[in-house]
Amino acid sequence: MLYKKIAVFGLAISLASAGLSPQAVNKFSFPLSQYKLKNGLQVILSEDYSMPVVSVAVAYRVGSISDPPGKSGLAFLMRNLMFSGSVDVPQPQLNYINRVGGRLNAAASEDVTAFYQTVPSNQLALVLWLESDRMRYLELNEANFEQERNKLLEMVRQRKTSEPYSESELAFDQLVYVDFPYSHPLLGSEEDVRDLTLDDAKNFYSAYYVPNNAVLCVTGNFNKLKARELVARYFETIPRGKDISLPIEPFVFTKKQVVKTVEDSQALAPALYVGFRLVFFAPQDYYTLTILDYILMRGRSSRLPRRLLNPDNKIAYQLNGGIDYRRDRAACKIFVVANDPDLAGQCQNAIFSELNKLKSAFPPETELDKAKNMFKRDYLNRTATSLDKAIYLCEAYFALRNFADLPLELDKYLKVTTEDIVTVAHRYFNTDNSLILNVRTK
Amino acid sequence: MKKIGTTLALALLSAALSLPGQERFRKSPPPPEPRQELKLPPIETSPLFDNGLRISVVSKDNLPMMSLHLIIFDGESSSPDRSPGTATFAAHMLTRSTQLHSAPELEELIESMGGTLSVSTYQDFTLVAFYFLEEFLNQALELLGQMLLQPKFTEKEIQSVKTVLSLDLMEKEKDPEFVAKRHLIRLLFKKHPYEKLSFSRDAIKTWNQNDLLEFFDQHYRPNNAHLILTGNININNAARKVTRYLGTWQPRKLIAKPFPPIMPLQEANICFIDVPLAKDCAIYLGVQVPFSNDLDPAALSIVSQVLGGTANSRLFMNLRESKGYAYFAFSGAEFYKMGGLFCVWARVTPEFIYPSVQEILNEVRKMSKEPIAASEIDQAKPYLIGNFPVSIERFDAFSGKAAEIIAYNWGDEHWNKYYEQITLVSPEKIFAAAQKCFLQPPLIVVAGDKTRLAARLGEFESIDVYDSKGVKQYNVKKERSPK
Repeated sequence: MLYKKIAVFGLAISLASAGLSPQAVNKFSFPLSQYKLKNGLQVILSEDYSMPVVSVAVAYRVGSISDPPGKSGLAFLMRNLMFSGSVDVPQPQLNYINRVGGRLNAAASEDVTAFYQTVPSNQLALVLWLESDRMRYLELNEANFEQERNKLLEMVRQRKTSEPYSESELAFDQLVYVDFPYSHPLLGSEEDVRDLTLDDAKNFYSAYYVPNNAVLCVTGNFNKLKARELVARYFETIPRGKDISLPIEPFVFTKKQVVKTVEDSQALAPALYVGFRLVFFAPQDYYTLTILDYILMRGRSSRLPRRLLNPDNKIAYQLNGGIDYRRDRAACKIFVVANDPDLAGQCQNAIFSELNKLKSAFPPETELDKAKNMFKRDYLNRTATSLDKAIYLCEAYFALRNFADLPLELDKYLKVTTEDIVTVAHRYFNTDNSLILNVRTK
Repeated sequence: MKKIGTTLALALLSAALSLPGQERFRKSPPPPEPRQELKLPPIETSPLFDNGLRISVVSKDNLPMMSLHLIIFDGESSSPDRSPGTATFAAHMLTRSTQLHSAPELEELIESMGGTLSVSTYQDFTLVAFYFLEEFLNQALELLGQMLLQPKFTEKEIQSVKTVLSLDLMEKEKDPEFVAKRHLIRLLFKKHPYEKLSFSRDAIKTWNQNDLLEFFDQHYRPNNAHLILTGNININNAARKVTRYLGTWQPRKLIAKPFPPIMPLQEANICFIDVPLAKDCAIYLGVQVPFSNDLDPAALSIVSQVLGGTANSRLFMNLRESKGYAYFAFSGAEFYKMGGLFCVWARVTPEFIYPSVQEILNEVRKMSKEPIAASEIDQAKPYLIGNFPVSIERFDAFSGKAAEIIAYNWGDEHWNKYYEQITLVSPEKIFAAAQKCFLQPPLIVVAGDKTRLAARLGEFESIDVYDSKGVKQYNVKKERSPK
């Protein structure tokens, strides 16, 4: 036993001597240039010659927050309609990208809808041709509208009947984000989707899928001058759209504990949501809360998994959560499925007990370093490929981050101290600011 | 007046130029630029260490991450006959405790390096993949050394691994595709060591400490292993570090077990396996590919690409786009030491299982009977060439590919000469590969909920029905209507 303790200590020393404290990364910088076309399209270019591939992301500042009341699901439907062909592109986008060995995808969130492709580097023009054509001349007709609306209706129904806890997840979102733009389902409700019309889609497209509401990011192996030429050729003649105002009211931070109980027809066992609304009182809080998230619940050796999923005393069957960042607000969300119906109360006590520990004692330096190293790995992976980098840069643009500061950003996370963690835990994780939703099976 | 007229004409012309009809460059896809060369760093291999360990290095310095891939040249086919799955068991036990650290301590140490560690077991080898921040190379090697040289297989951890893997398997058994593939391997390699990869939850109950210790002692040896390091490191530096942490790993004389030949199927066979409560239905077709030195892997990949490589391939276009039977339909080849396995898999709606099987059989038959049209080859080659760099751009995919090439002993032509390999393969070679590939009769497994599909089974001429545990229950034959 003594030998074991010494050995553990020995390895810990060897980790520390090699700099267990996360090291700053010299390599976290990459060439970057950005400019705006006359029609308002923001263009970001970043070269990387390590592989003969190029990625293109076109992201629009539109998501489910732009769904008008009574028309939930419209933004998501629009994302799918963007694949249904445009005036000069008769076949689905997938066919063109697939033939050259590329990959494509799209993502829609509450705030942003983005389209991505990665192709061999000699096919950059092809992607710009495809993206510009659907920004300019998307083909919207009764046939493709009906087809996509029916597919979405099917998705909504499937989610309702086959995704456990989807009902209570929505109820929890409505508890955390009380206003309509952030508290309705991304896919929309069945009733709303059924009532959507082709005109809704056309109006939505002309309002939001315009160059002055988009960012185009090209990353990977390309010649910058040639890329600028191609961007100009394909995007410059697309007319600017009307200016867009956000449909959301500024977020008002209120401190009030709310405890509710809901029945979820898809719940397999009793569950629990715990949340805290977050508004960053100090800019540094953003970095501290991110590292705190890693201490609390990222990885298998962080505090909540160890406490709730410990094989010797497993009180939870499932645990997930983290900090949920939205445009002007954020929340810490924790979701737990109790291992046994009688253990739901114990799960709640365990969560609050761990949060209280964060407030009452400085976390050990080794634990803080572990959290930072895990975060550093994830952060580096966000720019590991040309596509990751394109997504990262689009996000940074929409989050209004200063591009000149990006190479220094990682260090801001790595500078978080144990004192910062305790301060922030005190600031945000209080019972009188907690939102609790108990979930019962039907 | 004339000036106004000219201005108006110019304005109209300018407006017309911006009309859709005038933007001629939009009317057709732009031609590609000349293709850029793929210059991958070489896979450098060191001379054998004194203990028989071999290491390779792939230098990559655009991300401050590193990876260690350890290949043990024994996989599931080397598990003892009495206890299939032992190779999987041993691989998972590797990370569960050492003489110095418990399982939770190991988890914590790995995560402290910004690391992740996973194990996978294949027919002929086992792969340990360890990714971490580059500043922790020494610590990662030290930890891997502890796992290999000072393992501790406690009864508590044995039970824990058995429980975790059993629950994992239980979850997978809800998926018709998993069940179909497992049953395919069970029947296609019946009584051959390759059958062991299809181990069941009942087999997990038989796993025990003695078999584990014996397996580990026999197979986890430096002279049966290859370590691949990917990251910002050169071969000399890597060799020095590996010697420090794994230099005392003791070799052992390896016992070469006789590997029986794979018995070919006598005739095409269709069977059904029950997956209670499954909503959809999976079809898996498998053909044994006999080992052959002149089977060109590049030609085989074109065959697979044309048949079912992507959503533009024959199977997908036929079963989904044209007939509307399937959600998807793909194909692919797996390589074993003794030949390989070519598979077609599809997820179909229950009412179309019979016509789907017929279409799949037709497509497979067509591949071996008719040469592939030049236009299809001309589509498949750019896809494969273009997709290769895209598919290995991620650090884990890049280092994993290098490890895969070493594990299968494929050589440089699958790494730095991939473009040439695909470009130069001739239509004759492609047709020859298709004929060799589909020489054996196929086995087809349909997996789904028996209670929902019972009526559909009668559409087949003859189909063997298995219960969810893979035990044959009965045979269903098509009812002939009286003439």
